[in-house]
Amino acid sequence: MSCTATEDNKLTAGEAAKRNDLAARKPYVAAKLARISAMEERGEISPIIRVEKSYLCNFQCTHCSAEYYMDRHFKKVFKISDERRKIDLDDIRTLSRQADELGLARFVITGGEPLVMKDFDAVVEAIDPDRHYVITDTNGWFLDPARARHLKSIGVEKVQLSLDSMIEADHDNFRNKKGSYRRVMRAIDASLEAGLNLILSTVLVKGRAASPEFREMCQFCADRGIGLYVSYAKPTGSCTEHPEFVITKEDADQVRELEKQFPVFTHMTPSYGSFKGCITVKGIITVTSTGEVTPCPYIDFSLGNVRETPLEEILARGMRNPWLGPHRPDCLIGEDPQFIRIHTEKTRGATHLPLRWGDGFSDHDTLTPA
Amino acid sequence: MPQPDGPDLFDAHGRCLPGRTSAPVHRESRRYFRLGEPEIAPAAILARTAQHLAPDLETSLESFRDRIASTRQQLEADPLTRNVLRGVAVPFILPRLSVHDIGETFDTRFLPAVGNAYRAHLPDYDFVDHHPAGTAGKLTSRPGARHERLLAAMAQGEVCGLYFPCLTEFSVPAAVDRLAELPACFLLSGAFDTAAALVGTPDLLLRRDGYPPLLWLSGVEAEAPDAGYHFEAYGYNLTFNRRPHLGQTAEYWWHGLTVLCED
Repeated sequence: MSCTATEDNKLTAGEAAKRNDLAARKPYVAAKLARISAMEERGEISPIIRVEKSYLCNFQCTHCSAEYYMDRHFKKVFKISDERRKIDLDDIRTLSRQADELGLARFVITGGEPLVMKDFDAVVEAIDPDRHYVITDTNGWFLDPARARHLKSIGVEKVQLSLDSMIEADHDNFRNKKGSYRRVMRAIDASLEAGLNLILSTVLVKGRAASPEFREMCQFCADRGIGLYVSYAKPTGSCTEHPEFVITKEDADQVRELEKQFPVFTHMTPSYGSFKGCITVKGIITVTSTGEVTPCPYIDFSLGNVRETPLEEILARGMRNPWLGPHRPDCLIGEDPQFIRIHTEKTRGATHLPLRWGDGFSDHDTLTPA
Repeated sequence: MPQPDGPDLFDAHGRCLPGRTSAPVHRESRRYFRLGEPEIAPAAILARTAQHLAPDLETSLESFRDRIASTRQQLEADPLTRNVLRGVAVPFILPRLSVHDIGETFDTRFLPAVGNAYRAHLPDYDFVDHHPAGTAGKLTSRPGARHERLLAAMAQGEVCGLYFPCLTEFSVPAAVDRLAELPACFLLSGAFDTAAALVGTPDLLLRRDGYPPLLWLSGVEAEAPDAGYHFEAYGYNLTFNRRPHLGQTAEYWWHGLTVLCED
C-alpha cells in the first residue's frame, strides 16, 4: 500500500502498560473497558458519565460552562436559591449500578471544582472504583503531592487538569485567579509522581489554534508525555456573553492538523479504532446536581432525571433524537449554527437549567422545521 | 425545501428524492453537510487516472469529453432525470479489468490510487486508511445495486461514467429501495466507481467553510450485513474506513449513483 494505513487498534507501549496495570489491579473494570469496541460494533453505546454533584468552586472562570448552575449565580443574578432536590450518595450508587448493568465503565467527577467537595471520597466510594474507571476534573489549585497520592489511594485513576494558556498571566486572567498557573504546574508533577493517569484540558477560543502559545502548549504536553484534550469554547454558560470565543471550522481543522504532530485531541478525534464523531450520548452524558441528564456538558437540555427514569431509557431518548443519535463529524453545540440558535433561544431567560425533558429536547424534535 | 417543478426524481439541488421506501431516510434535508466546489476538469481527471490508476489508459481526452457530454445530454433530455445534473457530477474512468475479488482489487489497486492522487494534488495533507485489515474477500455486489453491470462493463473495456453523490441522508436499505424506482441507467455506486471519482477529482470531499458528507460504498456489501466501507474527510485529509451502519440514516451519510457512459 502506498497510502498511509494506520494500526488504529494497536496500542502504544505506554498505553499497553497502563492497561496491563489496570487489568492487574482492577480486572473487572479493565474487562469492561476492553469490551467497548465490540459494543460499538453492535451499535451499543458506552458513554462516559460525568457527575456534577456540586458546583462549588474556588474559581470564577471567564468561560465557565457551569456558572449558570451555581448557587452564586442564582443569588447574584436571580436573587433566589435553587430549591430543586439535589442528588445524594444513594442516587450515585443507583446510577453506578444501572451504568454497570449497561456495561458502562467510566465516571468523571466534575463540578464546580471537585477537590473542594467535602464528600469527594464518599462520591468515589459511591461510584465504586472497583466497578468503574474513575476520573476527576480539577483546576489543580488543591492538587499537591499529598492530595494526588490520596486520590490514587482511594481508587481515582485519572486526572483532567485545566490549563488555559502557557502564558502565566493569560491563564491566571482567564481563570480570574492569580497563582493558578503555578498551581497547575505543581499539580502536573504531583499527579505524575503519584502514578495517576493525567491529561491536560484546555479551552480553544477562536483563533487560538494558530497561535504560537497553543503550539507551545502542544509541545509542552509532548515533552511531558501528557495528552492535551482540547474543548471548543461553546456559546453556553459564561461563554454566552463571549460569542467572539466560538470557533470556526478553520480552528477545528487546525487542531486536526496538529494531531499529526502532538498528543492533542478533541472529543471527535478518532481513538484506538473508535470513530464516534460528536460524542453526545454516544460517548458522554452529564448528570447535573439535580439528577438531570444532559447529552454533553455544554447542552442545557435534559434527557430525563435519574430519579424518575431508568438510565437505559434516558440513553435511548438521546439515541433516537435526530440531533444527538446519528453519527456526525462536527461539534453540535460548538459548530452547528441552527442548533446553537435553538439552544440559545430556548435557554434565554431560563432560571433553572437544564431545561427538563420535553422543554428542551423531546421525542418530537426534527432537524427541519415543520 | 426546493421541490422539482415536474415529475422529477431529483430536487432542485440534485438530491434524489426519497420515493416510497419505508426504510430510514430524511424526507427533507436542511443541507447542512455539503460538498465544496471541486474543480471538475476532464483533462485533469484523465491525467490523474492515467498516472495513479490506469497507466495503460487508451481513452482519449476527446472521447472522454464526448462520452460525458453525451451522457449529460441524455439525462438532461429526460424530465425525470434532468435535475440530477443540478448537483455535483463527477466524471471518472475505470480501467479494463476482470475482477475476481472486489476487495482484493480494491485494496491493491484502487485504494492506493486514491491515496496517491490525494497526496499529489494536496501535498500538505494526507490520505489515511483506517482499515489496514483490508477488504480482500469481504466485498460482494450488493443485491439490488445493479453493480454487476459495472463489473461486466469493466471486463469488456475501459469504462467512463458519471458519479452523482446524490442519495443524501439515506440509509443503505433506503438507497437500495430507491434504486429500484430509478431508471435502469442508474447504479448504486460501489468501491471502484467511487474510488475512481476520487482519483480523478481528489478534492471532492475537501471543504474549508463547513463539513462535507461521508460517502458510503453501498453498491458493494461488506462481510457483515450491518456494516460498510466509506470515504470520509478528516479536516483537510481524506480517510477510508469501515463502520456499522445498522440500517440507520444520518444527515452526514450519503451514497452515490453512477451512470455509465455508453459507447
